[in-house]
Amino acid sequence: MTSGTTPQQTLTKTSAGREATPRQLRWRSRKAREAAAAYAFLTPWLLGMVLLTLGPMLYSLYLSFTRYDLLSDPKWVGFANFVQMFTTDSRYLKSVGVTLVYVLVSVPLLLVVSLLLALLLNKGMRFLTAYRVLFYVPSLIGASVAIAALWRMIFGADGIINQALAVFGIHHSSWVGSPHDALTTLIILAVWAFGSMMVIFLAGVRQVPRELYEAASIDGAGVFRKFFSVTLPMLTPLIFFNTLMATIGAFQAFTGAYVVSGGTGGPVDSTLFYTLYLYLQGFAELNMGYAAAMAWVLVIVLAAVSGFFFWTARFWVHYGDE
Amino acid sequence: MTSTIRARAPRPIFGRKQSTNPVIRAVVRHALIVCALAILLYPLVWMVAASFRPSNQIFTTLGLFSSHPTLSNYTEGWGAGRLNFSRYFFNSFLIAILSIAGNLISCSVTAYAFARLNFPGKKFLFALLLGTMFLPFQVTLVPQYIMFNYLGWINTYLPLIVPHWLGVNAFFIFLMVQFIRSLPRELDDSARLDGCGHFRIFTRIIMPLALPAVGVVALFSFVWSWNDFLGPLLYLGRSDLWTVPLGLKAFLDSTGQNSYGGLFAMSTLSLAPIVGFFILAQRLLLEGIATTGLK
Amino acid sequence: MESKGITVNIRSRTTTIAAAAAVALLMTSCIGGSRTTEAQSAGSAGKGEVKGAIGVTWWGGDQRNRLTNAVADMFVKEHAGVTIDRQSADWASYWTKLNVEAAGKSLPCVVQLQGRQLNDYTKSGVLIPLDPMIDSGAIDVSDIPKAVVDAGRGTDGKVYLLPYGVAYDAVGINTTLAKQAGVGLPAEGYTWDDFVSFLTKAQPNLSKGTATIGSEGGVPNFFIGWAQANGKKLFAKDGKLGFSKEDLIGYWNMWEKLRKANVTMPPDKFAEQGGLDQGYLATGQMMTDTIPGNLLAVASKTLAGTKSDQSLTTIPYPSGPNGSGNPLYPSGLAIAKSCQNVPTAAAFINYFTNDPAAGKVFAADNGAPSNTKVLDAQLADASLSATKKHELELYKQIVAANPGTIIFPPKYQATFEAPFRRNYDEVAFGRMTVTQAVDKFFSEANASLGQ
Repeated sequence: MTSGTTPQQTLTKTSAGREATPRQLRWRSRKAREAAAAYAFLTPWLLGMVLLTLGPMLYSLYLSFTRYDLLSDPKWVGFANFVQMFTTDSRYLKSVGVTLVYVLVSVPLLLVVSLLLALLLNKGMRFLTAYRVLFYVPSLIGASVAIAALWRMIFGADGIINQALAVFGIHHSSWVGSPHDALTTLIILAVWAFGSMMVIFLAGVRQVPRELYEAASIDGAGVFRKFFSVTLPMLTPLIFFNTLMATIGAFQAFTGAYVVSGGTGGPVDSTLFYTLYLYLQGFAELNMGYAAAMAWVLVIVLAAVSGFFFWTARFWVHYGDE
Repeated sequence: MTSTIRARAPRPIFGRKQSTNPVIRAVVRHALIVCALAILLYPLVWMVAASFRPSNQIFTTLGLFSSHPTLSNYTEGWGAGRLNFSRYFFNSFLIAILSIAGNLISCSVTAYAFARLNFPGKKFLFALLLGTMFLPFQVTLVPQYIMFNYLGWINTYLPLIVPHWLGVNAFFIFLMVQFIRSLPRELDDSARLDGCGHFRIFTRIIMPLALPAVGVVALFSFVWSWNDFLGPLLYLGRSDLWTVPLGLKAFLDSTGQNSYGGLFAMSTLSLAPIVGFFILAQRLLLEGIATTGLK
Repeated sequence: MESKGITVNIRSRTTTIAAAAAVALLMTSCIGGSRTTEAQSAGSAGKGEVKGAIGVTWWGGDQRNRLTNAVADMFVKEHAGVTIDRQSADWASYWTKLNVEAAGKSLPCVVQLQGRQLNDYTKSGVLIPLDPMIDSGAIDVSDIPKAVVDAGRGTDGKVYLLPYGVAYDAVGINTTLAKQAGVGLPAEGYTWDDFVSFLTKAQPNLSKGTATIGSEGGVPNFFIGWAQANGKKLFAKDGKLGFSKEDLIGYWNMWEKLRKANVTMPPDKFAEQGGLDQGYLATGQMMTDTIPGNLLAVASKTLAGTKSDQSLTTIPYPSGPNGSGNPLYPSGLAIAKSCQNVPTAAAFINYFTNDPAAGKVFAADNGAPSNTKVLDAQLADASLSATKKHELELYKQIVAANPGTIIFPPKYQATFEAPFRRNYDEVAFGRMTVTQAVDKFFSEANASLGQ
């Protein structure tokens, strides 16, 4: 049955020091072969891990302590990049501010909007499939150049947004040309693509057992109490998942800011997302060491944020078996 | 005294309201949803409609319909100036197909190992996999660029395709792991009894059953590759190598008020494959996403 | 279990070691300098057989691309066995692309540059000097004014760029609107003060949707013209800013006055302008603007399409106590160090700049031809359009007024132009006072200029 490979010497003794039985030997050799097979299956991923993820990460860490412009060799400068980022580089601090505002506004908005609509769609109504599909489409294309270009058009001085507002008697100047409003257009773009989050919430909401709602009704709970006492707690794992993924995604946003601002970071850096600034430093000005330093600061911040999320999860996430 | 809970029809106090309420509630609900959808999708629909309007009429109206529908935006935009969208669409498709193939193969074999096999270091490696799902791409961007530059892969498609053959999308791997885990192990066991090695089990048993997950991976892989902007921006300098997003950006840069029609036409065409494929496979996709979220 | 543990350790340790070795190898090969073998082109005199493949890269819009390709086609036709790989990009992406290619030692043989960026590339040694080729006759500069050739020199004095087109900036005026506003054109030899009163006078008489001038305080070239006219030095010997904070404060205060009087277009609307070809001046939404001199023809064409009853003209920049406020900006072609086919590249550069037939086809699309014979042939051409003729004659007029050429320090575009625009915008959007913005600009620019 099993094609016998001779077990190695080390496999012939059990932990008790006795000679292993043939059955134990066969089991160990099968384990060894399974391990070998597993690693064979994992080869592409392991290669990718080392060559494309871990290796580059280490190299990036090294680069963050250097000054490197690709044309000559990297020059070691110690912590100079980090010092520059936080003390003399006002554009860096600006990009951090812009990104933070973007994350802190768009993520909660996304959560609220997608949850509300998931609740609205919940009742197993007709056309549910069609509605779900239609709501999902924007999130499929939201990060594309085409939509970002459209956004730049419709939020222009004579774009349809301003035309619509004019119908209500509100006269607004250009959104994308104005430092106050350019970031708002990008936040709206992010929230516009709420469909994918909504679909996840929808699935979760539909999985809440009916009995819980019925029990709550019997206890005299109205709509709001049912939501806060039944639906919301049951959804906390999904809220956790969605918030985490949305936050991490928001920190990495690039295409929208690039296209809407024409690659500059918008009027007076008002749309200078962290990733955009990193790109400009690394590839437009060839300060690769500096860009690497920026990337590592982001990693550390995101790790801290994720860690924090996971830690607080203990307090507010209820996994259904409680 | 025991008070029994009587599951009885509601008392007549609600009277007639009870019977009309559900209908009205449903109508209101549908109305709200349709309203929300209309607002949400209006920019998109407007753009598509605008692509059929002559350029100088585009910004004059909020409305969708025009007195002079025309296809000229499509014909002119396709080859405007030095732009060559035939080339760009071809390039995008080529990269997308090769990326999808790579993703399917590398992610499924990796997922099989994590889902079905036991091996030393599994916990650690799985944690590593999860970790990379949360890793921001910025940290590998610059070194990967330097590496590809050193290899002479700038101005080729290799930097955009090869990573997908090495399982760089942790999200897809994770998705498939979850799915494969849900397949009953008895199938594996009976196959093993028949003398199948792991590879046979993988190809003959697991993969055919994993088609739904495969479909999800294929679709998302297509969407992400098709929409990818930063990658081509970095690696594809020569204009004959450009993908559709780069072509659109170039169009945008050289465009004044008079050529928005062409831009919208090409944008519509660039979004059509994604939306099209999605609508065809939407059930598959939406179920797949929903189950991933519910770990 | 222990025994299993040992096997595990051996296996995983081997894997780890292999992985670490791979990473280390990769890192050292990347870190240890990527000095690939460079073509033995340094010091080449550019003489040799003209055949084989070269790459040519340039920036431009539709028209420029079309014309450049046409000239390349002519060259290929005249020299059998030559192929030219063409790469073009829009202005903004061109520089990023070039940086990337320079870093990857994959620059095309022939690179189009301006004086403004030249020293970014001479500093990192990615171009080869053209002096040997000039000496050997592979490149002919006998018909190019010396001052123009000098504009192509790097900081070491060697010629790296062969200018083929000399551009200047001009003030574009919509004559129809100006007449409606009752101001006509500024008199010849007008100064900046005259210009300001010209604009202020026109503003009340223009219709509501039409701006008098754009939000131009942040346009670097306009400031350079002002500095030239007023005798202010732009750059010090070490490449840092050569003018004083007071100078810039005065300049930006002038623009602030215009902005507060609603003479300039609101900055947010102005920020939306796409390419100048179809910008606000070209579509009749603005009366005045600063435009490159060679934009007159294209903008006029656009204007004819949108507002056929209006016309455009250009006049020189305002002058001042120091004379002409119109420095010259040459564009030209350089040869990359990584070029493997220097003779063909030199021949192409020479052809592009000096050949009369090529000059005729290219039709001075990127500034007046540096070669005087080609320029004169253009002017003598009866089929030359009125706008083009005007542009070339204005060039001659400006040259006759002895303008200076400016040698720009390395990193000029990234560390002067971008912060200049941005800091002025801070003022225009009311987020900073002029003094604050000038302080910030000086610290940003001086931190990296000339490095």
